[in-house]
Amino acid sequence: MASVKISKLEKQYGAVKVLHSLNLEFADGKFVVLLGPSGCGKSTLLRMIAGLESISSGDVYFDDVRVNDIHSKDRNVAMVFQNYALYAHMSVRKNMAFSMRLKKVDKKIQDEKVAWASSILGLDDYLDRLPKELSGGQRQRVAMGRAIVRDPDVFLFDEPLSNLDAKLRVQMRTEIKDLHQRLKTTTVYVTHDQIEAMTMADEVIIMRDGRIEQSGSPMEIYDRPDNLFVAQFIGSPGMNIIECQVAEDSGVLYAVLDTLCLPLPVNSNVSPGQKIYYGIRPEHLIAAKAPMSFGSSSERLKTESGVVRVVEPTGPEIHVYAKLAGQDVCSISRERIMWAPGDEIFLQPDLQHVHLFDGETQIAL
Amino acid sequence: MPSSASKSVLRYLVSIFVVAVFVFPIAWFALTSIKPISAVFNKDRVVVFDFKPTFDNYRVTVLGGEKENLVGGQSASMGTSGKGAYDGRGSIMSSLIIAVSSTFLATFLALLAAYALSRMKFWGSQGYLNWVLSQRFLPPVAIIIPLVFIFHDLGLRDTHLGIIIAHTLINIPIALLLLKSFFDDVPIEIDQAAMIDGATRFQCFYLVVLPMIRGGIAATAVLCFIFSWTEFILSLFLTNTIRTIPVKITTFVTSTGSEWGYISALGTAAIIPGFIFILLVQNHLVRGLTMGAIKD
Ligand SMILES: Nc1ncnc2c1ncn2[C@@H]1O[C@H](COP(=O)(O)OP(=O)(O)OP(=O)(O)O)[C@@H](O)[C@H]1O
Ligand SMILES: [Mg+2]
Repeated sequence: MASVKISKLEKQYGAVKVLHSLNLEFADGKFVVLLGPSGCGKSTLLRMIAGLESISSGDVYFDDVRVNDIHSKDRNVAMVFQNYALYAHMSVRKNMAFSMRLKKVDKKIQDEKVAWASSILGLDDYLDRLPKELSGGQRQRVAMGRAIVRDPDVFLFDEPLSNLDAKLRVQMRTEIKDLHQRLKTTTVYVTHDQIEAMTMADEVIIMRDGRIEQSGSPMEIYDRPDNLFVAQFIGSPGMNIIECQVAEDSGVLYAVLDTLCLPLPVNSNVSPGQKIYYGIRPEHLIAAKAPMSFGSSSERLKTESGVVRVVEPTGPEIHVYAKLAGQDVCSISRERIMWAPGDEIFLQPDLQHVHLFDGETQIAL
Repeated sequence: MPSSASKSVLRYLVSIFVVAVFVFPIAWFALTSIKPISAVFNKDRVVVFDFKPTFDNYRVTVLGGEKENLVGGQSASMGTSGKGAYDGRGSIMSSLIIAVSSTFLATFLALLAAYALSRMKFWGSQGYLNWVLSQRFLPPVAIIIPLVFIFHDLGLRDTHLGIIIAHTLINIPIALLLLKSFFDDVPIEIDQAAMIDGATRFQCFYLVVLPMIRGGIAATAVLCFIFSWTEFILSLFLTNTIRTIPVKITTFVTSTGSEWGYISALGTAAIIPGFIFILLVQNHLVRGLTMGAIKD
């Protein structure tokens, strides 16, 4: 096992820079998720760690060894590819044993390892099949098996679950996490699915256009997004963002957009006239059928009324999409209030969970 | 809309017709090879089946038996050619040596080049591919005269090696192009997965990618073999004593007549090795060997 350090790493394709001077450190044994929209350079970064992509400038270290010039085959990493990349002419058993066969590992140890991996992954009955005789999920597990028999220093996963159906994805997510807890191998996992990132990661690194937007534990990122992009990217349904302006009324500050007047938390770092983005997660936007009444301390809180557009019950929760002063907003509640499209809805932000971002720089205030 | 039954009947009829059109010349040729001369050269009518089959033509051309110069115009040509003039055994041997060797060489060399061109991006790789292809722009006959002189000076004229080299050179461009397209069908991640598993470049090639395109290799080899087996003009000009089957057969057309019996016998016999070769590789001629490698 090893820690991974990336220092001033850059990647250029001709004149196009796809990674801009990245600095990252993944501690030994951590499960790190690289998260970002399509084309942001996640795969490129992962492949540079694997040694499959040349490094334009900067360094990659495993522990304290600079691996820039070490060939992939000598880096002792294991990788699960976005498209699995199984050896089509080899049985599942041979696919998994291939790396050991190259290393001329004793045949008995090979068999033991394959048996161990296949029992973890539930592939016992498929060992003598060819990849083409397997389902997508089984192929994905073969790719995993090929990686785990290796005892690698670092595991690299490139969107391994992106083509599985929803149920299998959830199941494999748990299996991968469980596997990591057992093996404790440093893992770098690429995905564009923020739920995968949230559920699996020790540390999430959010990328955009070849730059790192924020890194931290899933909850840190969820609770304290550094900027508007991260705030919008994490969470499903996404954070409600309302672009408004700060106004003052008898010494109290509000965020105002047309007729909408939203309360601001006390001690907000804003000044009257400033343009801001007002962010509130759906679960912190409380919905009610009648105007809410508040105690005297909350006198300046106002409930805003809107019109229900769409109602999506998910089972445990009800997602209500409403129009609020021309803005689309979403509110999640666990209460079984029956909404119908067109209903009047009263919405109230939970002031403790309001996120404010500067209107110009989009950085959190 | 025609019903599906009448559709499939129609389909059968059409395929039978197409097959018949293609098979007829070969069948007629094969039939001729077992006809006695009187049936081949019947001035009054076309003899189709009503003859007494004879294997005399095979006895002479394939087994090297004596030609029977029977009195009464039983031979098509009057000339008394030298002993063994109709003995095709040497030709069959030469053709086999040349076709097998040049097929092997061309496929092998093209494999290495195709893998490099498919997998490694190096300066001039595209230009190189075009250049190799351009070697096929001229018909072989256009280069035959310089080739004869060059081969003569190198001492390669009238040697098996000479024709092997010539056929290999002609086959490489097409083999290269074909094999490259088969390699291109294998996703590069397969190589990369193998490398991460600890394989060297050569192990990637040999243990992983090669087996995945063996259908393509078989198809390429069949094409190379058929070209070499049937090639005429280069073999004619580059040899005097070594006679490949196509060249040998032309010598059966003499100034005094064409030995249709012998021509068809050796010709029919010559179909057999190619046929066997194709049967042998046919198991590999399936598409989709890379199926299951990637998620689709
Ligand atoms: N060979 C290449 N030549 C030029 N540009 C490339 C090449 N490979 C990738 N890129 C560019 O680099 C950027 C990052 O690509 P990368 O594959 O790392 O994205 P990604 O974050 O993995 O996206 P996805 O989630 O879609 O897999 C993209 O904008 C892509 O267009
Ligand atoms: Mg990718």
